[in-house]
Amino acid sequence: MDNLTDLPNSDGFFGEYGGKFVPETLMHALKELDEIYARLKNDPKFVEEIDQDLVQFVGRPSPLYFAKRLTDHYSGPQIWLKREDLNHTGAHKINNTVGQILLAKAMGKKRIIAETGAGQHGVATATVAARLGLECHIYMGAADVERQSLNVYRIKLLGAKVHAVDSGTATLKDALNEAMRDWVTNIEDTYYIIGSVTGPHPYPMIVRDFNAIVGRELRKQSIEQFMQYPDAIVACVGGGSNAMGIFYPFLEEPNVALIGVEAAGSGLASGKHAAPLNDGEPGILHGAKSYLMQDKNGQVVDTHSISAGLDYPGVGPEHSNLKDSGRANYIAVDDVEVLSSFHLVTKLEGIMPALETAHAFAALEHIAKNYKSNQHIVINVSGRGDKDINTVATMDGISLD
Amino acid sequence: MEYLLTRLDEKILSLKKVSKKAFVAYLVAGDPDLDSTLELMHGFVDAGVDILEIGVPFSDPIAEGPIIQAAHDRALKNNTSLNSIFHLVESFREKNTDTPIILMGYMNTFLANAEDLKEAHQSGTDAVLIVDIPGESNLEDLGIKNKNLASISLIAPTTSEDRVSKICNSSSGFIYYVTLRGVTGSSHLNINEAESNINHIRSQTSLPVFAGFGIKTPDDAFNLSKISDGIVIGSSLVQMIHEQSDQKEFKNIYNYLHEMAEAISR
Repeated sequence: MDNLTDLPNSDGFFGEYGGKFVPETLMHALKELDEIYARLKNDPKFVEEIDQDLVQFVGRPSPLYFAKRLTDHYSGPQIWLKREDLNHTGAHKINNTVGQILLAKAMGKKRIIAETGAGQHGVATATVAARLGLECHIYMGAADVERQSLNVYRIKLLGAKVHAVDSGTATLKDALNEAMRDWVTNIEDTYYIIGSVTGPHPYPMIVRDFNAIVGRELRKQSIEQFMQYPDAIVACVGGGSNAMGIFYPFLEEPNVALIGVEAAGSGLASGKHAAPLNDGEPGILHGAKSYLMQDKNGQVVDTHSISAGLDYPGVGPEHSNLKDSGRANYIAVDDVEVLSSFHLVTKLEGIMPALETAHAFAALEHIAKNYKSNQHIVINVSGRGDKDINTVATMDGISLD
Repeated sequence: MEYLLTRLDEKILSLKKVSKKAFVAYLVAGDPDLDSTLELMHGFVDAGVDILEIGVPFSDPIAEGPIIQAAHDRALKNNTSLNSIFHLVESFREKNTDTPIILMGYMNTFLANAEDLKEAHQSGTDAVLIVDIPGESNLEDLGIKNKNLASISLIAPTTSEDRVSKICNSSSGFIYYVTLRGVTGSSHLNINEAESNINHIRSQTSLPVFAGFGIKTPDDAFNLSKISDGIVIGSSLVQMIHEQSDQKEFKNIYNYLHEMAEAISR
């Protein structure tokens, strides 16, 4: 068997997952992207330009922080936080857009499009497009435009146009559908910055590689700060880019447990959730084969999560392969657990996590007891929670008007 | 070994014999309901349609423009499934045994029903056309294509020359040339580009090349039929069906099809 780090293969498959299941019009653009990325990723000038942006524009490296009061609260393992919430624009999403915008520039594309759920990828894309003076269009489900209004306004301030998508369930999956349709129509001059490790090959690989800076920093920081690699790394999974970025540099370290946390929404048993790895079947959506929430006829079913960024029926194909191979474990936590975890972390640590990230924290309730006080768990704090204040207030029955 | 001509091969041969261009028409199964779809299928044939393309509704049809997307949504609200479409085709075959039927849809719907596809030809289904796969994919390995079920591949203006021959080799029946960069129902037809691309495809295969996407008027149909072996229309029909879905009076649609059929035999 191939090493997990050597995947995907040249056809874009991670085991049986991935591939390029797209309309014929897009095939050439994907091949072009694959070729230019293969050429540039080892080009010293390209690498240097990205590294410089990551340090000077994004603010990397992000700290590895010891969460003392959270550790005391669970009185089990030492809990450490990888602070992606401190990045410019407030989440890990900028790691990917900083890289992809340079690919767009190298390909001579003048127009940038992206989909967004929570709005973080929309903000991160509008930010890098503004910096290079490129026209930018962000597709966002109409339901998400409503619940993430703060980010919608940020995107507009950055000079991008927000297209509210009314079709289907009016959430992230429909935003992706509409972005794909835009790309099919404007293929010649448009670069599509996909925001997660989803979509057709080579996107799952490219987005993972640009986010893998998080895991590479953690390898170094964990040795420096606690003299060993973590015993477990925990990250939330919607499409799965923050998780893939922190997992990837540890795939060949068998003593490091990798735990992905999906959105159980109103509970796995209710069927109203967004946890395809826990309660889905392999299928094809948005260009790749992966676990998917679908009915017996192959129709994609409605999802539910308190968090717009995880409210997606699919998941990146590499996660599906990690699940089947047993290298990573995927659990799910529900909306109620997430909200109480949001409050706990905010009060104990003075860190207000995004609702997506709060899923990773909520996993501690289930797994902390399995670890001893000399062991180390790292939580990937994928983003900050300012954008979610309205949702949290509504859930708590408080009016901010 | 004896090679049996399929219904699709026979139709294409018989059209060729009289130097007639093929007229392919698309509609979404179950929009507004399956009984109407059956009535429309017979009506289409009476109005001059040679080959029927039945849209299999999918929750996330990324290659469709707003008109066909909405039709997919309506059909799904009526619980239209691939199995109910096989029954529809069976009913159609009670009165019509020579019009080829192609099921057009998205990979996930077909994969979820791969078992049933083994028997699909018994319902009278002749071919599948899957929108979201590379044309050179091996559909036999995936359990979609079999000796009784052909698969039609799409070639786009952006398809690179080296892939054209690979795609032609894995297609049967005909090649579907997508006339524009865009989703179904767009309006960026470029006849000159289509002509040179269709000529290139013809240099790579003996299969006929049909043109579709963005054909709305009899003039579009006439212009494209001159440079291809047939034309496909869809969005304009789906829109008209929707407009008539309350009174279910489809005469104006049949008149439109007549006009289009005449235009391509001009």
